[in-house]
Amino acid sequence: MAIRENGAGGGEDQMVVFQLTEQTYGIDIASVYEIIRMEAITRVPRTPGFVEGVINLRGKIIPVIDLCKRFNLQLTERTGSSRIIIVNVAGNTIGMIVDAVSEVLRVPLDSIEPPPPMIHGIDAAYLKGIAILDSRLVILLNLEKILYEHETNELQGFGLETA
Amino acid sequence: MFSDEEISVFLDELEEKIQVLNENILVLEREGENQEALQEIFRAAHTIKGSSAVMGYDKMATLTHEIENLFDQMRKGLLPVSGPLVDTLFLALDTLHVLRDEIIGKDVSVDIEQVVARLRQCQGPQSAPAAGEAPEAGQGQYSPPDGGVTGVLEDVDEEVIREAGFRGNQAYWVNVEVDPACQMKSVRAFLVFETIQQVGEVIKCEPSAEDIQEGRFDVGFRVVLLTSEDADRIRNLIMTVSEVTRADISRIKLAEGPGGALRRAEPGSREKNAEQTAKAEHAEVKTVQTVRVDVQNLDTLMNLVGELVIDRTRLNRFAEIFEGRFGTGSSDLVEKMNEISGHLGQVTGDLQEQIMKARMLPVAQVFNRFPRMVRDLAQKLGKEVNFIVEGHETELDRNVIEVIGDPLIHLIRNALDHGIEEPEERVRLGKARSGVLRLKASYMENHIIITVQDDGKGMDPARLRAKAVEKGLVEREAAERMSDAEAVNLIFLPGFSTVTVVSDLSGRGVGMDIVRNHIEQINGIVEVFSTLGAGTTFTIKLPLTLAIIRAMMVELANEQFAFPLTNVLETISVKAGEIKKVKHNEVILVRGRILPLVRLADIFEREDSGEEKERLFVVVLGIGDKRVGVIVDKLLGDLEIVIKSLGDYLGKVPCLSGATILGDGQVALIVDVRSLVKEIGVEEAVYAAG
Repeated sequence: MAIRENGAGGGEDQMVVFQLTEQTYGIDIASVYEIIRMEAITRVPRTPGFVEGVINLRGKIIPVIDLCKRFNLQLTERTGSSRIIIVNVAGNTIGMIVDAVSEVLRVPLDSIEPPPPMIHGIDAAYLKGIAILDSRLVILLNLEKILYEHETNELQGFGLETA
Repeated sequence: MFSDEEISVFLDELEEKIQVLNENILVLEREGENQEALQEIFRAAHTIKGSSAVMGYDKMATLTHEIENLFDQMRKGLLPVSGPLVDTLFLALDTLHVLRDEIIGKDVSVDIEQVVARLRQCQGPQSAPAAGEAPEAGQGQYSPPDGGVTGVLEDVDEEVIREAGFRGNQAYWVNVEVDPACQMKSVRAFLVFETIQQVGEVIKCEPSAEDIQEGRFDVGFRVVLLTSEDADRIRNLIMTVSEVTRADISRIKLAEGPGGALRRAEPGSREKNAEQTAKAEHAEVKTVQTVRVDVQNLDTLMNLVGELVIDRTRLNRFAEIFEGRFGTGSSDLVEKMNEISGHLGQVTGDLQEQIMKARMLPVAQVFNRFPRMVRDLAQKLGKEVNFIVEGHETELDRNVIEVIGDPLIHLIRNALDHGIEEPEERVRLGKARSGVLRLKASYMENHIIITVQDDGKGMDPARLRAKAVEKGLVEREAAERMSDAEAVNLIFLPGFSTVTVVSDLSGRGVGMDIVRNHIEQINGIVEVFSTLGAGTTFTIKLPLTLAIIRAMMVELANEQFAFPLTNVLETISVKAGEIKKVKHNEVILVRGRILPLVRLADIFEREDSGEEKERLFVVVLGIGDKRVGVIVDKLLGDLEIVIKSLGDYLGKVPCLSGATILGDGQVALIVDVRSLVKEIGVEEAVYAAG
């Protein structure tokens, strides 16, 4: 799925760009499976707070997480432009709620800079870098880390407590 | 080298044949020389020998070769069935099994020398010439006494002939010669066929039937004829056809042949034969046509059908809404719609049933290994037992089959070890010297019931109570309040064992707990009934399939939850005033019994609707001997649901076993009744302590 062009400029990445509490974020297009409108989410009790619940995606049960809650950002209201980005990371299909999906951007690799230790309350560990495009700041997320590293621990810890 | 697939086919066949050997040796042990069993054994050993040699597994080929020799002698009546002989045979089979493990890469090293030596010892001196035979599939050229009528028989033909033999039909090689000057050989041949087919069935011919009928043969052709007529009559019949100069008939006696059969004697000719004699063969061997399918493909099919079931339900609902909105009288559109939805529903239902059937296997798959196990165990324990197996053919989903093997082994071992008494003891008690152990499978509604029943000493409720208290598993008062039936169920508690001396067979105090765990994991229920002095019966109730279940749907805070119906005992409606508080727990009296209550809203951290309701709905759940009432907002009735996993990402969520998709596309969560009941138990204990 990934379309990477290795041009003279050292190549570029294609990013799906979305809004979250008035910030612009980007994730690698290769991990995006599809983008759907908000739909009714069945809450799953006794899961970590950022897990919104599960949805039925054409007969498959898909967990959905709220990225705002994940990063402890200020919660925004769900609007008509809210979307669920379905991503496929490390073999699992997971939905992420975002405020809006704006576009697919080609980001030249040489315009990506390493992330600062902390940006908008998000630890640098969860970031791949920062891209500056047409004077806009796009924060590139490291999905693998976001979805698993911290979370799996939390999920596991959660399971252990109640077992 | 052989491909993985070929090896796997070989291993499957091997497993099957070892099972055949096991079963039939047991028959021999029980009934002495049984020709049918001997034939079966000989054939199975021969097949293993042939294929293992082809695959290059020399040790296995050598071993089966020795086994085959032994059976050959038994078949000819040169060697009587005896205890030591049977023991040696079982030893050889076990070695065969280890050899199989070696092939699949288990780290075992097998030395077959000893077994081979023992097998040779059993054979005695007559075996010497046979031992020189090459271990490949031997060429079995059948030569009748007069040498005039020869032909090569294939395995398949031999089987057909043997089967015919059981029904009183004889097999003959019929050699027909036609006048060399004959102008219409094909017509003559056709007439010969016509004539002999009136009195019997042609199962083979040389050259091929096609060639014969088109006259492409020299002066003669030969056929194998199955008939109940005698040779003279057949000869006379054939001779009535003009221009037939000679008809030689000789009877085929398979047992006298070297036993070898040639596979694919004439490549290609079999197909033609099959075509020509299809009718005859069909009548003789009713072979089931099968295709091996990867289990994963079946699982995928099952999932797809699950999708269809969901859409069918959605369409039904939509049709209802459609009808409601546009009325019944307004147009035939509504009628069409209903018709389509009805038909789709029916087809989907049939499809679902067929695919479920495709996943079904007879319980014989599991049951078949038990007779041997029981025999060995009984011998080791010095007990006599009559092991009766019923309901072999009962079919179960293969996933369920995979899980029930171990629990059943536990139960059978327990019955032999702790249940059935020593023969002398039984005689002293006035019982029959040998005990009866009965394993039975049967259907009951949408479930399968497996019972393991012995007529041994049974369990003593008083002793069980004392033991449970001593081990600190139950409070003394609680134990004393228990009925005898409840006390017997104490054996399912973790860490419970009544045997003070731990034997190597059973009784490390983990057995029954694990048995129950295994069975409940697949939504089954295990119960035990025991009468002191008269025996013990274990009853296992299992769902036919794991993928689709019936569930009681309830509503809580506007969301739907499903309780698997296997765990739902009943649903009741209670007045709020009837609920009593004991310590911190809510309970209610149902038919004189105290039923602990729990609110689903508390368990699932749902906001309580707040309003004080006069009537409350309670789903009464049962796991083993535990009963719990769960208060919900609404009861919605039962529904057939497809179980879906919540996925690896969420992992194991407490008190949930999965989710299902409802008719309107919404997701409903399935309650894991077992972990829910367990959790409530934990809370109770905490309260009691505090």
